[in-house]
Amino acid sequence: MPASLRIAGKDLRLRIRDRSALILGILAPLVLSYIFFLVFGPATTGQGLGLEFGVVDEDQSGISTSFTSVLESAAAEGIVELSVFDDQAAADGALKEGDVDSYFLMPEGLEQAVFANQPAIIEVVGDVDAPNSTQIAASFAERFSSGIAASQLAVVTAATVEGVQVTPDFIQSLSQQPSVAGMNYALIDETATTKQLDAPTFFAAGMAVFFLFFTVQFGVTGLLEEDRDGTLARLMAAPIPRVSVVAGKAIVSFLLGIISISVLVVATTFLMDATWGAPLGVALLVIAGVLAAVGIMGLVASVAKTPEGSGNLGSIIAVVLGMLGGTFFPIASSGGILASLTYLTPHAWFMRGLADLSSASPWTDALPATGAIMVFAVVTGSLAFLLLRRRLQK
Amino acid sequence: MKTFGDLTAVDGVSLTISAGETFGLLGPNGAGKTTAISMICGLLRPDEGSVTVAGEPITTTSTRGRSAIGLVPQDLAIYPDLTGEENLKFFGRLYGMTGAPLASRVGEVLDLVGLAERKDDHSKEYSGGMKRRLNIGIGLLHKPQLLVLDEPTVGVDPQSRNAILESVENLSTEGMAVLYTTHYMEEAERLCDRVAIIDEGTVQAEGTRRELVSLVGEKDRVAISGTGNLVDATEALRRIPGVTDASSSDQRIDVLATDASAILPELLASVSSSGGSITGVEVEEPNLEAVFLHLTGKALRD
Repeated sequence: MPASLRIAGKDLRLRIRDRSALILGILAPLVLSYIFFLVFGPATTGQGLGLEFGVVDEDQSGISTSFTSVLESAAAEGIVELSVFDDQAAADGALKEGDVDSYFLMPEGLEQAVFANQPAIIEVVGDVDAPNSTQIAASFAERFSSGIAASQLAVVTAATVEGVQVTPDFIQSLSQQPSVAGMNYALIDETATTKQLDAPTFFAAGMAVFFLFFTVQFGVTGLLEEDRDGTLARLMAAPIPRVSVVAGKAIVSFLLGIISISVLVVATTFLMDATWGAPLGVALLVIAGVLAAVGIMGLVASVAKTPEGSGNLGSIIAVVLGMLGGTFFPIASSGGILASLTYLTPHAWFMRGLADLSSASPWTDALPATGAIMVFAVVTGSLAFLLLRRRLQK
Repeated sequence: MKTFGDLTAVDGVSLTISAGETFGLLGPNGAGKTTAISMICGLLRPDEGSVTVAGEPITTTSTRGRSAIGLVPQDLAIYPDLTGEENLKFFGRLYGMTGAPLASRVGEVLDLVGLAERKDDHSKEYSGGMKRRLNIGIGLLHKPQLLVLDEPTVGVDPQSRNAILESVENLSTEGMAVLYTTHYMEEAERLCDRVAIIDEGTVQAEGTRRELVSLVGEKDRVAISGTGNLVDATEALRRIPGVTDASSSDQRIDVLATDASAILPELLASVSSSGGSITGVEVEEPNLEAVFLHLTGKALRD
């Protein structure tokens, strides 16, 4: 058996006994991706935001009914859950019981105020423990009120143009015309058209590739640990090629990375309903991603003086690349310079490749992203190899 | 020769070690001992010169020849999270040993270094002395033709130190060449057939202990305590071959001789026959510390 494999076998045994590799490689990304999914997942699709609204219509007018209709449309789309209350007391009771997060109160005289060219005020009463829902409810109300204000302006303008007074009959005639400011809420299924990852897959993939760079460190940093602990001298005195020591460490990094991501792919598929795409395409992306991670972290180890220094520098690089690569938030869709810089990271290409595989795309759709990641792997891996080999032959 | 920037770590070190010989490299910390043996073991590339072990050139790039060398580094070179047995098996496999022969040899070495009962414990649980013994055991595992030990007793308790020294004494009887570096004069005197004294990267002198001592003109001292006619006894001692000087003082005769152990019976007989009565004898042989001091002007351990 080649010496590199013997060294890799020994290191793997040590890494398994040192449970930090298992924790950092599998447990941490699995737990974090699940937490991220629970916290941020619904917000990325709009589905299942869990908004529970109530409405109290004390005005019972055309305008108040119109607002209630808008809410009912949103409920029909599944965006919110809506409860209609007869009076404010009932709504308060439901709020207190936690049956609703907030409710809208349209006071008596709402329409009258609108026709009198006064501001349309819709009260929003929210649960202090549901600030997000309350904020969204306030936005609903604000938007509707803005629409009313725009309509009021249009009415005054029309009256001025026609040289008539603003009367209820005039307004009534105008209200037969198409709404000036309508409120349309529709759920747009973007995944099929723009090839975006759904929430569970996004967070699973993001955490997997983010933690990958920490996991592979355990292999390449091992070279510096051997130097520190004195065993490197024995390895170099043994009748084995020097390059086999470097190769052994790289093999360990590679295997740890593959195992880590493979476990996460399987686990998140069952636990979070993540859909990774065509297996062959995913495999290509994973292999390329792991090679890139090994190359980059190998380069870090080649310039560091101590294992602690390598760990620190590697962590900084892993975090920066992870954030820039969009593993926490889809930076590519944010526009601006970040949207360009993100593709200077293998992370972004990995996420892009998975997105290209979404919606039942064939495995070949992952090839462009795989190729881009391999460029990172080849460049950084070659540099790391040369520097480490030179370091061992002093 | 080896330089690091402006520092010449080793210059003009040339050694020849025969099979079955224990060769000592004696010098203080920073003398260049570790640098020298790093080059011998192929860990460092010499700027000038070459190394040959068992007829094979030793370089940093070629693997040939390195299997003839067993290294016991000064720093412990064992894996704390592997058991003693696992440590031995791992390194044994790197030297091409496998299967039953490897298992058998591992058992032998564990017995040799006294770790058979602790072979299944992680080496991090060993005492300092036990770790040192495992360190040596790994170097011996593949039965090298040249065993290089770099200060193997540093930081070791006296009992373990003695055990290590006894182990090294037995090695040369098995036909193994041993290169032993130390800054302890008594270890070099006890173990080594020949010694090279190294300081500031150069070999100051080389030879057997006796040759080194005579090289610098050091003589054995014999202090004979007694009563009676010590003046005549002193005169008689001066006439004995091998005695370079003798002097008497209050109830004591001091004798300088080239080899006191060889002529001691004659010295004592001469004192008695000259009218002296011996009450005590003390023989002080010059040691390598004295040689080092004479050659370099400083002590082995400052």
